Amino acid sequence: MAPSLRTYRLREVGVRDNMYYKFSGFTQKLAGSWASAAYSPQGLKPVASSEAPPIIFATPTKFASEADTYDYAGKNKVPELQKFFQKADGIPVHLKQGLPDQMLYRTTMALTLGGTIYCLIALYMASQPKNK
Amino acid sequence: MTHQTHAYHMVNPSPWPLTGALSAFLLTSGMIMWFHFHSTLLLFMGVTSILLTMFQWWRDVVREGTYQGHHTPVVQKGLRYGMVLFIMSEVFFFVGFFWAFYHSSLSPALELGGCWPPVGINPLNPLEVPLLNTAILLASGVSITWAHHSLMEGNRNQMIQALATTIGLGLYFTILQAMEYYEAPFTISDGIYGSTFFVATGFHGLHVIIGSLFLIVCLLRQLFYHFTSTHHFGFEAAAWYWHFVDVVWLFLYVSIYWWGS
Repeated sequence: MAPSLRTYRLREVGVRDNMYYKFSGFTQKLAGSWASAAYSPQGLKPVASSEAPPIIFATPTKFASEADTYDYAGKNKVPELQKFFQKADGIPVHLKQGLPDQMLYRTTMALTLGGTIYCLIALYMASQPKNK
Repeated sequence: MTHQTHAYHMVNPSPWPLTGALSAFLLTSGMIMWFHFHSTLLLFMGVTSILLTMFQWWRDVVREGTYQGHHTPVVQKGLRYGMVLFIMSEVFFFVGFFWAFYHSSLSPALELGGCWPPVGINPLNPLEVPLLNTAILLASGVSITWAHHSLMEGNRNQMIQALATTIGLGLYFTILQAMEYYEAPFTISDGIYGSTFFVATGFHGLHVIIGSLFLIVCLLRQLFYHFTSTHHFGFEAAAWYWHFVDVVWLFLYVSIYWWGS
């Protein structure tokens, strides 16, 4: 028989039958794991459902109208804000809200640019020798 | 009207990196003006502009993530890496101060009396307020984990209560530590003991304050429904930072308060 048809057999030392994976919450990627983790990914804690929990903004059984002592900060304004900030008007995000953003931006810029000029002058003056 | 056909975040041009860099310049030059010429105007301008920059920059991150939906899974992965690298850089910052402490305390100089604590220093009793502070921070680690699990399970009220508890414990730690500073029988100028003690614990206290502020921002965002049960990286970042602050305290307690007394 030609040598190329010689077959090889791996010595089966510690070979697993299947590959198991777990989802690493830290890197948000799949990583290798043991069968035990794959079969009971939540460890020994039973009852929690393996379905992804529904995305909930607030405890669903309470209506905003029957506000009691646990009604924190009123109703959820995020959907309206999402519509507002996604308006296709070409305005960059730091100015998107209009006037308040502009005022804050101009104040910050004035302070930093003005301050830098003042600083350079002050440093120049401080570096001059004092005439006794 | 063009839409992106990829999952990455191409940020709008932003002025905040420039204002941040200039603010840092003003801050450092302001310190020089204050130390050498007793003038605080530049320092005040630097502090104000850095606070304005931080507020607006992070406000924009919230707008981009929560309102505009730019924080896709791959973008979030980048944010995670960023936070981890930042915390690692802070770890190395503290490593320097622990190095200084161990360098001075493992072979105490002749001028100190050849012993640690040095002659004339009455260290704080580690079993009094420092031990209470340890318990406070450990408890805050538990409450923040409770808050996280409540968030993941969609339990809004419990999340708010647990996060508020964590913040309360952080503030309690800060108040107690401030009182300790006031009552301490030694000062920062009391030789190498004072220097290592107050610089290490002082920077730690500053980090507790920063961490508490981060948690307060998370509490406000939770009240405004920004977090969902599956997407709340801002909270996770705050929790990581808080645990880091806790671990640094444990090292401080064991090394400086306990072994060093």
